[in-house]
Amino acid sequence: MASGDTLLIFHPYHNEPPSSSPATPDLRNQIPVLDFDAGADEAAIFSGVMPRNYAGGGITIYIHYLATSATSGNAIWQTELERNHEAGDDLDSDSFATGNKCSADAVDGTSGKVCVVSIAHTSGAQMDSLAAGEAFRLRLKRLGSSDANDTVSGDLELMKIEIKET
Amino acid sequence: MAVLTSGKRAELWKEFMSEISRDREVLGALTKQQLRAAVDAIDDWLHSNAAALNSAIPQPARGALTTAQKARLLVFVVKKRFLEGA
Repeated sequence: MASGDTLLIFHPYHNEPPSSSPATPDLRNQIPVLDFDAGADEAAIFSGVMPRNYAGGGITIYIHYLATSATSGNAIWQTELERNHEAGDDLDSDSFATGNKCSADAVDGTSGKVCVVSIAHTSGAQMDSLAAGEAFRLRLKRLGSSDANDTVSGDLELMKIEIKET
Repeated sequence: MAVLTSGKRAELWKEFMSEISRDREVLGALTKQQLRAAVDAIDDWLHSNAAALNSAIPQPARGALTTAQKARLLVFVVKKRFLEGA
């Protein structure tokens, strides 16, 4: 694998909901989505193993989403990684690395059209030092209440996540 | 009765946005901060005009109904006027 190659794809049904403020499952024209409220910082968590062919160049996370009904406003998403490697952190508590936020992403003028925004994590601390072959969790948050730059007046619906080698 | 606290207004604002999303309604080109300003303004207006609304209710209803009952009656009237068939 090399820069620009897809490493992993996550689907809403892969969500392992956090115990507080979870995004909620929904269907959009029978398409599974996860709803993130406008007035809260809700989250979804996805777990996987970094493919062996990850070359250590950092990752870019692509968030494919829809606005439930809004046709204007900006969305703010944040991604955080937690390395779950052998003899690493005690998984009885969370230890996500500091997250990275996207730039304010304007939703489409038609609420049913897909929006895509990317967030890059450089290799090292931004990826919790995650390496190829190691298990990890990815936490996706909508900063609906903690970031005033998130202005969309309704739910955002996550469709897919792609992790690509930067 | 004082205006709603900021926390209560925030609760109301979030509940309204959730309901709008559930119904897949479009709020025009309105940001959620602008929507919150509308929440605050409506609560301020109700606070300023509560006495006038109470005075508009004729006796004996004005004396017999509790404040909570008058509020519920207001909700019924507003729903019938503005929401039925909307």
